Amino acid sequence: MLRFLIARLSMIGVTLLVVSGVIFVVTEILPGDVAQMMLKQEATEERLAALRAELGLDRPAHVRYLDWIGGVVRGDFGDSYVQKQPISEILPRRIGHSLVLALFALALGVPVAVAAGVWAGVRPDTLWDRVVSTVGLVGISLPEFVTGVLLMLVLASTLHWLPPSSHIISGSTPLTRPEILVMPALTLTGVLFAYIMRMTRANVMEVMQTPYVRTAVLKGLPMRQVILRHVLPNAMLPTITIIATNFGWMLGGLIIVENVFSYPGLGQLLLRSIQTRDVPLLEALSLLIAATYALSNLLADLAYTALNPRIRYA
Amino acid sequence: MSHQPIEGAPLLEIEDLAVTFYTPRGTVRAVRDASLTLHRGELVGLVGESGCGKSTLAFAVMGYLPGTAEVGGSLRFEGRDIARMSEPELRELRGNRIAMVYQDPATSLTPTMRVGAQIAEVLREHLGMSAEQARERTVELFESVRLADPGAVGMRFPHELSGGQQQRVVIAMALACDPDLLIMDEPTTGLDVTTEATILDLIADLKTRVNAGILYVSHNLGVIARVADRVVVMYAGQTIEEAAVRDLFKNPRHPYTAGLLSCVPKPLAESGAVTKLTAIPGSVYPAGEEGVDACLFADRCPSVRDACRSEAPPMAPTDVGSSSRCLFWADVRPEIWATGEEREETPAANGAEEVLTAKSLRRFYGKWKRKYIFFGPRVQPPVRAVSDVDFKVGRGRTLGIVGESGSGKTTLARAIVGLVPLTGGATVLHGEELERDVDDRTRGQQAAMRMVFQNPTASLNPRMPVRHAILRSLKKFTGLNSRERRERAVELMEAVGLSAVYLDRRPDELSGGQQQRVALAGAFAGNADVIVADEAVSALDVSVQAQVLNLLKEHQREKGASYIFISHDLGVVRYVSDEILVLYAGHVAECGPADDVLAAPSHPYTEALLSAAPVPDPDAEPTRIRLEGAVPTLREAFKGCCFAGRCPRKIGPICDDTPPPARVGPSSPEHLIYCHIPVDELAEMQRSGVGLR
Amino acid sequence: MAATVVVRDPWTDLLRRVARALALPAQRIASALRLVLRTPSGRIGLPILLMHLILATVGPWLAPYSATEFQEPLAEYQLQPPSWQFWMGTDQFGRDILSRVMSGATSLIAVSVSGAALGIALGTAIGMSSGYRGGRIDEFVMRVMDGLMSFPSLLLALLVMSMLANRPAPLEILQSNWQNILIVVTIGVVTLPRVARVIRSVTLSLKTLEFVQSARLRGERAPYIIFREILPNTLPVLGVEASVRLSYAILTISSLGFLGLGVQPPSPDWGLMLAQSRQFLGSAPWVALGPAAAIASLVVGVNLVADGVKQASGLPREKAAT
Repeated sequence: MLRFLIARLSMIGVTLLVVSGVIFVVTEILPGDVAQMMLKQEATEERLAALRAELGLDRPAHVRYLDWIGGVVRGDFGDSYVQKQPISEILPRRIGHSLVLALFALALGVPVAVAAGVWAGVRPDTLWDRVVSTVGLVGISLPEFVTGVLLMLVLASTLHWLPPSSHIISGSTPLTRPEILVMPALTLTGVLFAYIMRMTRANVMEVMQTPYVRTAVLKGLPMRQVILRHVLPNAMLPTITIIATNFGWMLGGLIIVENVFSYPGLGQLLLRSIQTRDVPLLEALSLLIAATYALSNLLADLAYTALNPRIRYA
Repeated sequence: MSHQPIEGAPLLEIEDLAVTFYTPRGTVRAVRDASLTLHRGELVGLVGESGCGKSTLAFAVMGYLPGTAEVGGSLRFEGRDIARMSEPELRELRGNRIAMVYQDPATSLTPTMRVGAQIAEVLREHLGMSAEQARERTVELFESVRLADPGAVGMRFPHELSGGQQQRVVIAMALACDPDLLIMDEPTTGLDVTTEATILDLIADLKTRVNAGILYVSHNLGVIARVADRVVVMYAGQTIEEAAVRDLFKNPRHPYTAGLLSCVPKPLAESGAVTKLTAIPGSVYPAGEEGVDACLFADRCPSVRDACRSEAPPMAPTDVGSSSRCLFWADVRPEIWATGEEREETPAANGAEEVLTAKSLRRFYGKWKRKYIFFGPRVQPPVRAVSDVDFKVGRGRTLGIVGESGSGKTTLARAIVGLVPLTGGATVLHGEELERDVDDRTRGQQAAMRMVFQNPTASLNPRMPVRHAILRSLKKFTGLNSRERRERAVELMEAVGLSAVYLDRRPDELSGGQQQRVALAGAFAGNADVIVADEAVSALDVSVQAQVLNLLKEHQREKGASYIFISHDLGVVRYVSDEILVLYAGHVAECGPADDVLAAPSHPYTEALLSAAPVPDPDAEPTRIRLEGAVPTLREAFKGCCFAGRCPRKIGPICDDTPPPARVGPSSPEHLIYCHIPVDELAEMQRSGVGLR
Repeated sequence: MAATVVVRDPWTDLLRRVARALALPAQRIASALRLVLRTPSGRIGLPILLMHLILATVGPWLAPYSATEFQEPLAEYQLQPPSWQFWMGTDQFGRDILSRVMSGATSLIAVSVSGAALGIALGTAIGMSSGYRGGRIDEFVMRVMDGLMSFPSLLLALLVMSMLANRPAPLEILQSNWQNILIVVTIGVVTLPRVARVIRSVTLSLKTLEFVQSARLRGERAPYIIFREILPNTLPVLGVEASVRLSYAILTISSLGFLGLGVQPPSPDWGLMLAQSRQFLGSAPWVALGPAAAIASLVVGVNLVADGVKQASGLPREKAAT
């Protein structure tokens, strides 16, 4: 177990180093001048030179990289170019917002998705299974922005049940007006729900075919007990991995959803940093998202290991 | 709901059972016409080759068939028809009155549940026991199936148990509610012979202890002979013969039964001469075909007559009190299959030119593992799969290699042909030392050594026509042009008894036996000097196995090729081998001329293997030597004898501390036994049966 | 006696050879499609996909109006609800939404198919050779793949598009299509490791099979084994992967479009159309419906086909996707 953890953590370390390298190369080293790009039309010689000095672009690339990564390790991401304040001060509030939204979506979607998947998986090719499969297929096919806009159209513009925009007035938290979370969370849940449900259903169907489930049935156990004690624990093992992996994958969805509903989380900040060409902020956010992604994958593996007796006691 | 048995009804009565599956890929008539009766206290063996419908019949008795199945005829348990029972009624019976033991214990137990809990839930469901009562009863059950440490086994997960222990747990689970009917579906298939023997002992013992009827399904006649009171033979979904066990083996009254009996190679040659194996030609009547008004065995029967093709024979009583589905049962005798001709012996060892020599072959797996991946102390050494194995193979001769699973047989084979590189030692072919990796060997060396694998289905590329492997071999190893290669391929196919039309078929259109024969044709293509056959017939049915074995022998006689023949089946190894090497945990335990190795004195491990092998003769005395546990995985160089831990004849600490010396057997200087016990003492012990630990 | 002279025209000869070389793959593809059509999902999905493919090729010519030009006077044409004249209504610039939807498929499909194809081709090659070789090289390659995968695809795409799309292309000839090339490469990069991983695991299990071992024993070289013995056996998995990856490519690219970083103008972008429609959701919901339906039906179509391929290939359902 310790061996495994050391191996995985060192791998994540290496991965993040590589990722930071990629981010740095893409943003700062590839041909084209960052200062020029950031300023665009307003670029005059003096302003360019000033910006280059401010960003330290006049120094050699490897020095800049080491400087940046050194700062990151100490928790210092540098200053936002547009907002003119340390990035480490901007982030916490945004992280909190995104986390609330993500957890809300997970809590909303996962239990229902698992239940629906199990229900369909133990009764393959029934009407219910068909309905669930179809919903699942459509669910994974609809991009978040399509679902989001459609929800907005129905729930906000037509029925006026919910506010069309989920922006948060400064000084308050998302929980002061929880109704603004509903549509973003529903949208985020849509894809998540479909995906987890499809995987659960597939896993349950696979486990239902195993000899040990046959054994359980031929022991004369009631179906409910067969499913709860013999099918579920085995079908949930891979499903748990998928749920944890999806948490990371949801980050991609967050970028879209937050922008559809103008919800002030990391995703919205990311897009804004792109639009305002705030390169230091963009770098910090990218690294943060990649790190979360890697850690959630580790979490998935740990959960799998902890729950699988074959690994636990091996 | 009444569960009162109908008075006077037999425990299980199956009449004219037919089970048909309607699948998208076509209709499968798994069982066509099967009848059998089973009484309390009786063990009926149900025997037949793969695809004959025996497992379907077993699951039909449990009322467990997929919804696409159509059941005809009747299946009565204590007079009540199982096929017409409701789901709750079935649940009441299953695990309680009727219980089952399955083929593969490893997959039959739920991996995420402790085995004790898996048994306890049966007790609680059917007998309404409290958790505490169930736990106590579980321990009793573990005791009754003779699991070591019955108090603690229940807390283990299935993967923490060996195959033999898992099967004991499954048997304990089946016995939990004192069932009236026990169904055992190939309970020892897939286990090692030594484990199989201990499980068979247990079943033979259970038979006398429990007051149940047992239906024992198996493809293995030796196993059936050991445990059954009565035997029912199935062929192509029909029961074709039913007889008391002794009658079936001594006086078979159906040509198929007689054929099956003469297909099985016997491990010991009491008469000295080894007779040529009978092969039943052709293959089983396909389950996709509709039944016809004829005997379904007619096309493969040596004494077929016109009447056999015009009427479907009924089950009819015979002179010895058995019943047979053969119109001419009176004419069935073993001679219809074979003339009992002697197998032609291969040339004597002394004259034979040496073709292949193995010099202290070693193969280790993995690297040293460190505590923290890249640094820290070295904690785990590599696995020693094969350690210092020497042997020689002469021209036109066969070296048989035997051992349990995990003994290193397959690794040895792969190392010789160069699929896995040797860690140490050398393989010498015709005086030249071979490169360790097959890719680095010369074309000539590649042509000289070929291999036949266990799994015929995987031996051929499923996406390529059958001709692919043969033509590529010819292209690589002969100077023929493409038209000549095609002609040669046809010849090769004919040599293995297949028509040329098969060349353009896809592998999945062929049966297992046909696929293996194609693999042989490919191996023969380059006129190889050495053919390494790794469990080449283990996956095949006995009748087909005989075809392949005979082909191998024939090829050897004609071309003078040498074989290294690896198998866990002593009978098969005995049939083909001139020399035998017994492998244990990667070490040679014993080697020498086949007859000497298999006769006393032998290494205690060889003795145990011989003792465990089931003999297809109901009168054979059950032997007493049993091995517990499994072959150890060696990581360190072993100080003493690697068999010491399981040896029934262990003499003392010397076995653990000192490597065993090579002792020369009495009848041949080539016969070596690696044991601390002197040869004459071994011989004496094995004759008198004393000295067992 | 007049000798019959066979005139060997080099072009006919070449054509014949090409035809012969293509005959077998074409036959295989045809029979695979027939299998897919036999599954319920395939029966619905293939026609939808076919419709989109037709739209992608001839849509811009079939469109009744221009997809890009504003219609004047704006006040008269702007935000018209669906009518006989404009079946899907008009947008804020008075453009016919139907025409815009019909013209939007071309670049989306072209770019996502090329991106997915690039990633699948490279991923297959890398996965197969790395898996077959094994050892340290394989270990290293897979670590790199893991590294590539630790980026959420959309994030990587965003980074690349935002940072590079506005800079000049390194080569003059790339400049005219620079934005699309970037998308194709990015999609290729995010597709590659996922395909490589799946194909590698298939290769790992295939290479232990006896027919591959047999091929080694008869002295076949690694490239032959990889392409002739292993590749044909990965085709079912590859088919499933290809369709699943294509659907992800479409999702990612249209999401980029929604965020304003999609395929390059002037061709209309469904994602961008949807993004802009948000302003008029209350007053002109039809502006959103057209592109939403277009994207949804395209991805549903691809996913249905993916499902059909899965069922037809006999692989366990829904096991391949991550």
